[in-house]
Amino acid sequence: MKNRTLPLLASLALASVALAQTGTLKIVSSLPRTGSANAQTTSMVNGIKMAIDEVGGQIDGMKIEYEDMDDASPQRGNWDPAVEAQNANRAVRDESVIGYIGTYNSGASKISMPILNKAGLVMISPGNTYPGLTKPGMGEANEPRIYRPSGKINYFRVVPTDDLQGRVAAEWAKELGCTSVYLLDDRELYGKGIADVFEKRAKELGLRVLGREGIDPKASNYKALANKIKASGADLVYYGGTTQTNAGQIAKDLRSAGVTSKYMVPDGCFEEAFILAAGAENLEGRTFITFGGLPANQLQGRGAKFREAYIARYRVEPEAYALYGYEAGRVLLDAVKRAKAKTREGVLEAVRSTRDFEGALGTWSFDENGDTTSRIMSGQSVEGGKFKFVKVLGQ
Amino acid sequence: MIRGRSLSPSWILLGGAVLLGLLDRPLGLGLVDPMRGVLVFALLGLGLNVVTGFTGLLHLGMAAFMAIGAYAFAIGTCDIYPFQLGFWPAMVLTVVVGAVAGFLLGAPTLGLRGDYLAIVTLGFGEIVQDVMKNMDAITKGTQGINPLPPPVLPGVGELGSEEGPWYWLFLGLLVLAVMACRNLERSRTGRAWLAVREDELAASCMGIAPIPAKMYAFATGAALAAMAGGLWASLYASTGEPGNYDFQVSILALCIVIVGGMGSIDGVLVGSLAMIGVANIALPKLAAWLQARGVVDPSNVLGSPNNWKYLVFGVVLMVMMRVRPEGLLPARLGRVGGGR
Amino acid sequence: MHAIAHLATLTPLAVAAALQAEPATAEAASGVLGQQIVTGLSNGMIIALIAIGYTMVYGIIELINFAHGDLCTLGAFFALMLVGALGMEAWSGVAGMAGVVLLLAGAAAFCALFNWSIDRVVYRPLRSAPKLTLLVSAIGCSFVLVNLALFWGGLPMEVFGGGVAAAAPKDFPAMVPDSSLLPDAWDSWVSAEAFLRSSPSWNDPSVWWLTWAPRVALAVLVKSRELNFTTSDLLVWCVTLPLMVALTGLVRCTRLGKAMRAVAQNPTAASLMGIDVDRVIGAAFLIGGALGGFASVIYALYNNTISFQMGYRTGMDAFTAAVLGGIGSMPGAVVGGLLIGVARAISDGYIEARWTNSVVFAILIATLVFRPSGLLGAKLRDKV
Repeated sequence: MKNRTLPLLASLALASVALAQTGTLKIVSSLPRTGSANAQTTSMVNGIKMAIDEVGGQIDGMKIEYEDMDDASPQRGNWDPAVEAQNANRAVRDESVIGYIGTYNSGASKISMPILNKAGLVMISPGNTYPGLTKPGMGEANEPRIYRPSGKINYFRVVPTDDLQGRVAAEWAKELGCTSVYLLDDRELYGKGIADVFEKRAKELGLRVLGREGIDPKASNYKALANKIKASGADLVYYGGTTQTNAGQIAKDLRSAGVTSKYMVPDGCFEEAFILAAGAENLEGRTFITFGGLPANQLQGRGAKFREAYIARYRVEPEAYALYGYEAGRVLLDAVKRAKAKTREGVLEAVRSTRDFEGALGTWSFDENGDTTSRIMSGQSVEGGKFKFVKVLGQ
Repeated sequence: MIRGRSLSPSWILLGGAVLLGLLDRPLGLGLVDPMRGVLVFALLGLGLNVVTGFTGLLHLGMAAFMAIGAYAFAIGTCDIYPFQLGFWPAMVLTVVVGAVAGFLLGAPTLGLRGDYLAIVTLGFGEIVQDVMKNMDAITKGTQGINPLPPPVLPGVGELGSEEGPWYWLFLGLLVLAVMACRNLERSRTGRAWLAVREDELAASCMGIAPIPAKMYAFATGAALAAMAGGLWASLYASTGEPGNYDFQVSILALCIVIVGGMGSIDGVLVGSLAMIGVANIALPKLAAWLQARGVVDPSNVLGSPNNWKYLVFGVVLMVMMRVRPEGLLPARLGRVGGGR
Repeated sequence: MHAIAHLATLTPLAVAAALQAEPATAEAASGVLGQQIVTGLSNGMIIALIAIGYTMVYGIIELINFAHGDLCTLGAFFALMLVGALGMEAWSGVAGMAGVVLLLAGAAAFCALFNWSIDRVVYRPLRSAPKLTLLVSAIGCSFVLVNLALFWGGLPMEVFGGGVAAAAPKDFPAMVPDSSLLPDAWDSWVSAEAFLRSSPSWNDPSVWWLTWAPRVALAVLVKSRELNFTTSDLLVWCVTLPLMVALTGLVRCTRLGKAMRAVAQNPTAASLMGIDVDRVIGAAFLIGGALGGFASVIYALYNNTISFQMGYRTGMDAFTAAVLGGIGSMPGAVVGGLLIGVARAISDGYIEARWTNSVVFAILIATLVFRPSGLLGAKLRDKV
């Protein structure tokens, strides 16, 4: 041990001397890295790292450091409120931190938003889609006021919210010729929220909602539920959930029970892992996935370049999550670059004034709530074991 | 210290906690923040220790009482409900609700033996979690109830983002709970608990009624767990999702009690420090340290320190049990739990 | 043989339900009852197989082996690795069946050895320690196994979908086709019916008791034509039932089984009678692990998905089943498993899926309040 740590410590000392001369800016991300969300957050972290490497790890001679914090704990196997609060507090205490990328789960943001808000540290989420975090009147009556104790906005997100996606999903279902739908959700903030929006819109559009079930995302299979759905005769099964809450298993069990209806899922399933988990043959030609943005292979300009670089580096097609992570990282770094004073206030101000940002997901701005103005939604299907872009939705 | 006993490890630990609270800021340790979680889990552990440690009833649903406490506290204080009690009245309510819940679970089931009781408590935990998730109208389902008003302390005012006052408040409550548990342990009831644990049949021959003694233990344990839940919710100004009070939390509480030493109050304190300390303080610090040294290879699942957390946590548990099968600070009174 | 006897009491239940089901009336509600029971029984058998692993270890060393569910996870990953290494996805027909046998044998051997080693390394040094010390070691062990499964899922192998998504659920190739068996079976029964009808005794009311059984069988088959009883259901039943019988035989009739029962009764007395207690305990872990290995392959072939956290719910269900049936009792574990499987299916079908866990545990609590030692558990006496 000793002879290994000694040179390490020495190089560390040298490094810190070097840093002190030029100054260091630190970006942290707080995502659940232990447990079932690991697959998705790994993509996000890859995206963030790409964004940092793109600027050569430094801006105006100041080194950009990055720390990949875990907001999950091993005993929970999922995001842990205590750890998320700790991460936020740690970021606040470390004065070199100028940006906080996170969280993945909207529930976690509910915990850390007020903490970071009081400290005036900018927070950019690559994954939260719960509308109540930013949009007045969309969640509980007291949201989003309660997340902004300082009265100012410090929370931004690069992903369109559930109220948009659930809505276009229901509209798309109608376009696809469905007349009746069976709704499932995973009883989590994201899945249930998006299924609620879908249900409301579907009823407005005159689709018959034949059933609504909250499932146990840890169950070994859903064959009994599939039998029930089969008997209901619905044209479409909509599942508000993600790959990690077993969207793949549901697809399998629907097929093996002989359900022939279409199957629609939100962007929590827009990743290779979903197809791998479900088995391509169970999705083929019957599965529809909505996504807030364009898939990587449809992107032009900046996005296309990102895709090439990502494939070159990680040898896989970038997932939606990688795109979101990259976009969050880039918009933050762009703000750092534009900020006159490289301080928290300066960066926050620069992020807030982000307008017509040339991002991988298109050109967009942050609106007065901190939401992306990007409203592009796309619909995908699964063909030949791959996602296939079908159309732009909600235009 | 109390009743002329020699300085017990509890007071050394609590003294250490006071010292940490004083030195944290000057030394820039940043430990007071995560330590608040340790204090809350120590309370939960004290509750479980009454049930499992003192009375010998294996309980796998402590998280349910924590949840009940958190939700009772939230419903009592949050401004979306009509009650809007202050912190202290709500905390009293929380403890009472917890005790009643413990009593209600205990009444029909305490006739069960050993592991049958364990699974009933496990099932109760799952049912409570389902109720919290599914009864949206009351519990807000997956949204959780927020915001909860911060505690108000005389002379300090409302507790805000400053960590210190929270720490002192929690530490103070923990000290009170430790004192209460110590006194209970030596009271008539406490002796009845220990007697029931050691040999129920013999205890009942000596004129101790086992069922009321167990019931009392259940209610006491549940009250402490509910208090932990209430404090937890108030710390994060939110109950969080019902999933935050799942089986894993019950298991963690059990690990705290057993790693510390069954039936030992000192043990609970050191156990919560060991468990939460490892999982929420040491592991994140280790991961951050390794990352800062560049020991990360993203191309490989083995390359990220975060992917090793389960393994390290599990190995720590196994090694602790191997090295100190009786727990880190076992109870001094007699042999606990017994082999066979 | 108890297990079979209890199965026999449950099966007519399914039959009766299938007979009563009237698909034409009340469309959804009653038409799927028979189907739900079939689904429930298949799930229940997997649970039962894992529950036996819990109950065996519990019966002998009174340890709730929390790591057992996660051991099954590893078994499933081992099987997936075998599939990938040997290119088994492409095997079909006889080769496919041989592949399934190979997987079963491989995973069983792997899990048995692994479980035995866990006992040797982790539990054996703690034999004289308090009971709950062992429990915490088992919890720790379960965390380690989950992490191992995560690493395994991240191995850069084609069949795992590459090393990127270690935590993502993995597709397990459908080596057993999911085709429905019953319509085919029915077609051959049409000729059987014609044959029966042509026999003189069929229409003779005085010998009705001769034709009673074929009549019921035919009625069942008519109903079951609507059932979706697939090859994978058949596989589950064909593997679990013989295993349960074999195991019951082993415990009742062999020397090892006798030794196991002796150690369960009183380890000290057993060792005084010349029984090597450690060996017997090791054997229990070996057998329990093997059953876990079988269960993991069955699970993987039935659900076609495995993930590093799959042991959690399955393990909890199995543990519940073991206690419901009476922990320590092997027939009890089987009955408990089947009951839980069916209860889950019925609850998913007729109540609401979101209440399913609550329903299962409510049944459990209610059962234990009225039968404090589980359904088939021995009445516990105080060891004074």
